Amino acid sequence: MKRGWRALAIAVVAAVLVAALTPYLWVFLTSFKTRIDALSGTPVWLFAPTFEHYPQVFLDKGYLPLVWNSVFIAVSTTLLSLGVGTPAAYVLARHDFAGREDLFFFFLTTRMAPPISVVVPMFLLFTALGITDTPLAVILAHSTFNLSLVVWVMRGFFADIPREIDEAAMMDGNTRAGTFLRVLVPLAAPGLAATAILCFILSWNEFLYAFVLAAFESRTLTVGIPGLITPHGTLWGQVAAVAVVATLPIILFTFLVQRHLVRGLTFGAVKG
Amino acid sequence: MGVVFERVSKAFADGTVALDSLDLAFDTGEFVLILGPSGSGKTTACRILAGLETPSSGAVRVDGRDITRLPPRERGMSMVFQNYALYAHKTVFENIAYPLRVRGAPKGGIDRAVRDIARMLQIEAQLDRRPAQLSGGQAQRVAVARALVWQPAICLMDEPLSNLDALLRLQTRTELKRLHAELGKTFVFVTHDQEEAMTLGTRIAVLNEGRLVQFDTPRRIYRRPASRFVAEFIGRPAMNTIDGAVAGGVFRAGPLELPVGRPDGPLALGIRPEQIVVCPAPTPDSIAFRLEVMELVEPETLLFLRKGPVALIARVLRDLGDLRPGTDIHLELPPQARHFFDPRTGARLE
Repeated sequence: MKRGWRALAIAVVAAVLVAALTPYLWVFLTSFKTRIDALSGTPVWLFAPTFEHYPQVFLDKGYLPLVWNSVFIAVSTTLLSLGVGTPAAYVLARHDFAGREDLFFFFLTTRMAPPISVVVPMFLLFTALGITDTPLAVILAHSTFNLSLVVWVMRGFFADIPREIDEAAMMDGNTRAGTFLRVLVPLAAPGLAATAILCFILSWNEFLYAFVLAAFESRTLTVGIPGLITPHGTLWGQVAAVAVVATLPIILFTFLVQRHLVRGLTFGAVKG
Repeated sequence: MGVVFERVSKAFADGTVALDSLDLAFDTGEFVLILGPSGSGKTTACRILAGLETPSSGAVRVDGRDITRLPPRERGMSMVFQNYALYAHKTVFENIAYPLRVRGAPKGGIDRAVRDIARMLQIEAQLDRRPAQLSGGQAQRVAVARALVWQPAICLMDEPLSNLDALLRLQTRTELKRLHAELGKTFVFVTHDQEEAMTLGTRIAVLNEGRLVQFDTPRRIYRRPASRFVAEFIGRPAMNTIDGAVAGGVFRAGPLELPVGRPDGPLALGIRPEQIVVCPAPTPDSIAFRLEVMELVEPETLLFLRKGPVALIARVLRDLGDLRPGTDIHLELPPQARHFFDPRTGARLE
């Protein structure tokens, strides 16, 4: 009986793995295929690899700076969202004030509108401010959805820390701000790390805002991909090469999330 | 001088009144116990003294200085929390050192101060561990060490022993008493456990419904309870109280008649279970009660007695093996052991 369940579990996990990994594997293989192999009607698994796509797209077409743009924008929006959202989450977790739950819910509603409906007004606004096609425009746009994520996730982490910890920190000689910065933030560090990585991934993968608000100088890797769809056909090998590079940090960070999502640390604070 | 609560009231946003014009004053160096049932406002009083709660009205003074609006860090007090509230991300050493670091103590002194207090509380071996690796008793000691390491003038403790098992609670109780004697600091200790209060306190403040009912030494709280509430709250089992009335110098409650020599009018008579005398045979002053239930709690015996509507509990240390439930036994309620209370206000009548 137990054996049967185990076999079933392995089968399910295997099926999920195949479904999840096949596209990545395909993209990875395509990035080393010649145009003819890539466009072949029957799937080609064995082929003579070519290494031309990577230098072509990143050096000849000048896509290398796009990696930097993506990194800069994703890191900046992560820092901005955490910097603004973490204190907000702390206040929402700890202080009772009129309309607290409404305000909290309001943060969530900012994610309810489809991005396409807000991106045009945002474009007009940013044009008026003269910041379109700068990293700042994309950082601000990405922060709109990352901020609500930070507030929602971090509030939970702060709520998990017993209030007595704040009070002990204040009795030990801290101001309120000192309590937050010196005790609560270190205690919530695993949560902060997990949230930071989620912010980074969301910004890194985002296409629409980045495409509309910064399609030229400050475009990100995701925005670069449509540039490979040319009048002479889509350069699948180069698209795949960009996709492989764009996926690497996500895979890397996903492993980090796994490690940091363990909340264990804070549970030691209070023992019954 | 010491610590003074001046007509301190606290009403919370939801309308509950935790403290109702509390007046309380005690000296520095005392071991003050704040005792009361849940909802009596004892924890609120402690938190107001700590600065974690602001009173709705009234003032708190320490050595004449009004500290009502001071933030906790400027009050020179420390606190031990019921759940210890240790910093999970720091080692035991760093937990204890933390108040010294925050307060900017010189580096060299910190190490010595931490090791001294750790030795005093026998947690030297745990200094490198994390709070999650400690037993309840050890975590509790770390919390006490953290509260005392910087030598605050006043140390507050909010039910610090209630998460410990019975044996450990006894040990820690003794230890706190020793620490208080050694350090000479003011300890304010909140509890709902009368035994803790009776053993630890130099004085006990009994709170009920946000008011101070009595503030006295444990001995006087037990022997001369200021009100029926204190009488019924202190003692195990609680004091028996019988509602009745005096007419012609005789107290009557149902079939019970007892000459008391008090003015006429309604009266509540109290007597502690351990002061009821069980007589082997009728005496001129004895009263017959029906024995309903006997409970043997070695080495003592609890007798549940009844005469009409009047129920009494007696606590006897002798062996009463020959008594049978359902029979009548003879009791004396010695005059010097009787307490009288006003049945309306509950106040003690002399």
